[in-house]
Amino acid sequence: MPELIHVGRDEDRDTYYLNMGPQHPSTHGVLRLRLLLKGEEILEAEPIVGYSHRAHEKMAENRNYIQFLPNTSRIDYLSGMIYNIGYCQAVERILGLEVPERAEYIRIICCELNRISSHLLWYGTLLMDLGGFTPFLYCWDDRENILDILDEVTGSRLTYCYGRFGGVTMDVNDEFLQNTLDFCKRFRERLPEYETLVTENIIFQNRCKDVGVFDQELAQDFALTGPILRAMGHKRDVRRDEPYGIYDKFDFDIPTLNGADTFDRFLIRVEEMHQSLSIVEQAVSRIPDGPVMAPKVPRKIKPPKGEYYFAVESARGHFGMFIVSDGTEIPYRIHLRTPSFANLSSLRSVLRGTMIADTVAILGSIDIVLPEIDR
Amino acid sequence: MQSLLDIPRGARSLLKGMGVTIRHFFRKPVTVEYPRKRAPVAKAHRNAIVLIEKDDIGSHNCIACLQCEKICPSACISITGSRPDGIAFKRPDKFDVDFALCSDCGLCLDVCPTDTLGYSEVYDAAGYSRADSKFDLLEAWRDKEGEALGTLRERERKKKEEREAKRKAAEEAKAKAAAKEKAEGKEDDKTGNGTAAS
Amino acid sequence: MPRDFVDIFGNPWLAAAAAIAVIMGFLSLNALMLIWMERKVSARMQRRMGPTERGPFGLLQTMFDMIKLLGKELITPTHVSRKLYLSAPVLMFVPIVAICSLFPLSENWVFHKYDIALVLVLAFSSMSILGIFAAGWGSNNKYSLLGAIRSILQNIAYEVPLILAVLAVVLVARSLSLYEIAMEQSPIPYILFQPLAAVIFFIAATAETNRAPFDIPEAESELIGGFHTEYSGMRFGMFFFAEYSNMVIVCALATILFLGGWHGPVLPGVVWFLIKVYALIFIMMWFRWTFPRLRFDQLLKFSWLLLVPLAVANLLVTALVLKLL
Repeated sequence: MPELIHVGRDEDRDTYYLNMGPQHPSTHGVLRLRLLLKGEEILEAEPIVGYSHRAHEKMAENRNYIQFLPNTSRIDYLSGMIYNIGYCQAVERILGLEVPERAEYIRIICCELNRISSHLLWYGTLLMDLGGFTPFLYCWDDRENILDILDEVTGSRLTYCYGRFGGVTMDVNDEFLQNTLDFCKRFRERLPEYETLVTENIIFQNRCKDVGVFDQELAQDFALTGPILRAMGHKRDVRRDEPYGIYDKFDFDIPTLNGADTFDRFLIRVEEMHQSLSIVEQAVSRIPDGPVMAPKVPRKIKPPKGEYYFAVESARGHFGMFIVSDGTEIPYRIHLRTPSFANLSSLRSVLRGTMIADTVAILGSIDIVLPEIDR
Repeated sequence: MQSLLDIPRGARSLLKGMGVTIRHFFRKPVTVEYPRKRAPVAKAHRNAIVLIEKDDIGSHNCIACLQCEKICPSACISITGSRPDGIAFKRPDKFDVDFALCSDCGLCLDVCPTDTLGYSEVYDAAGYSRADSKFDLLEAWRDKEGEALGTLRERERKKKEEREAKRKAAEEAKAKAAAKEKAEGKEDDKTGNGTAAS
Repeated sequence: MPRDFVDIFGNPWLAAAAAIAVIMGFLSLNALMLIWMERKVSARMQRRMGPTERGPFGLLQTMFDMIKLLGKELITPTHVSRKLYLSAPVLMFVPIVAICSLFPLSENWVFHKYDIALVLVLAFSSMSILGIFAAGWGSNNKYSLLGAIRSILQNIAYEVPLILAVLAVVLVARSLSLYEIAMEQSPIPYILFQPLAAVIFFIAATAETNRAPFDIPEAESELIGGFHTEYSGMRFGMFFFAEYSNMVIVCALATILFLGGWHGPVLPGVVWFLIKVYALIFIMMWFRWTFPRLRFDQLLKFSWLLLVPLAVANLLVTALVLKLL
């Protein structure tokens, strides 16, 4: 009989390491958490990333600006539309391209629908991590609706390549707008049901309240952005602070809460879904007629020499693109500042002193997307 | 103590949650049983690319310009083309797509000058090996190629004839004009001379 | 109809063998049906179809699943402690068979009328935890170990309110025999006398069987599979069978203690008994597909700080009322 592998360290037999992942149901991909445990309590946690590194930034250096388009939606596959459109907007800003107004409205509708679908998936997976399987499938049911709607116009269900420099590939028709409005109506009826099933549930509240509280210093130390930051009481949102596209024409709130715990992060995202719905409805009601592509788009994209930075608000926070151009067709460097990477870095401090069951709740509430962290 | 006060509220919240699930229990499932029923697929949905028929040719109108091959970010298109006799443009001899590499970005459709690229309607293509995802787009058109070439040649010949006719007409017109000019010139000369004489 | 297996066979050994055969047959069939039911219930609550392919309503699906499990290679990881690892599935199953032989299904369907059947049930039901611990410890895997430790703490914590709730019933019935207790409830089931005890019993029973929302020993999102992480093939199937058999046991116990056993109008006793048992099982499934999971410490607090005091209070009040009457 082989020797039993003993689980403690020699110097301290009460503690042991537990490798959570890279193959683990709750690490949402291939994140590896190296936990130093004492019983169920976490003494030290170390997130180890890089298992799904696909070298998107390096790929950008080997292809021209247009060819990088399909990559963008694969950085964060859950809010691919926002990344795709965001990249287009960045290059348009550099080139000084004017986008037709109808295209801008279509972009807003698609991005906000995508934000809702991303939040829905987060909602479901958080609940699944906490052991509630049924809300997960309700969320997927609703998300399926969004995917169908977006499929009608973008031709893809997940990794969109809908934006082009100067507009979008395809015009929307009345059916699309009607479907969007129908979805908004349906989803507004579904949200109270979610509230009864999940938000009010005492077990869920006990699992989330006062769990994984972020210290205020963390916000600055790790440059936290997105719903996490807003759950700490900071009213920061790129859509409001540095409006891109035509977000300044819309009327929406940036929800904030002060608890900084898992439950507040949950509530913030739910409220964001409400706000996104309202943006979509406003956009559908005001969408003008006209072309969806700018009339004069240069065939060869050659941004003037220089360094540029452009940011959009993805479903997870501040997504920035730092583009260095040497005046040729191929970018010299594109650095991507992705929100989950910064947010995940704070995990080490937050997990200290919590329990294993809290780990999955906190990890779920941060809402990470591994391919976006590893890029 | 706090937990005791929570009991009625907590129990009510749990019962309300159970109410939600039992309501769904009696509703119709939303599943579409895939192999038997197929959910409708969006018209715009991007699948593997195909060459689409152009009515006036009776076949595809690929001119092997290699624009799509050049712009494809994942290099999944490979084309070779040659110019058949009697036609001004090239025709593809080989048009292979490795759909396993394709990322459905649609850039090839954007650059196609003859709009002969389109999306196939098969959305659930599957295979047992990587080779199964390699498509020969010309396969569907091979038996129509001769006919298409005939049409194209005919068209080319007509064009040529037209051009020839035009050229001839233009030449004739030019000759006429020149002759006229000559005549007029003579007249002019005459008048000129006349004026000069007077 | 004769009342006792021993009476029919004359020989107690023969009777025991026959009883085991009957019970194993029933348990296998029951587990297959319950897994089908769980899949169907969960599917309908989530707006899905569940199994539809094999047999009417997919009834035979679990049969085929079992055949698949039987056909799989039994993998024994090299780093396990073989004796514990291999004996764990058996340890899980033995107490279940023993407990099942104690239940009276109706006035005439009894294996043997034990005077202290209730005590035996409770004693055997605590034994199944041995199997879980053997699995968790023997697997030599940190996740399994954590699952096993959680399971033991949970079982200890919930056995106390469970027994306290049962004691209240025993006080009312003045008997430890399951047959007697059921017979006592012929007009009015005890759930009307002892509603609090019934609720406590049912919650504790859900926890005892490691069902959601108390399924932390095998919490798949935290511990992957918990104590059965390292098991595959039919060994894993045995744990699965044990889980569903345990459900039947606690629900049968609840039926006898609180819902009046086989008593009911029109239909024969056995049918009533089974209807009640499966209704309770449906409620357990309903719990599972509605609630998220409790955290480990909350689970223990819930038992020690809430259920145990409530059960004790209930017991005291019951005793006082009985004394005064």
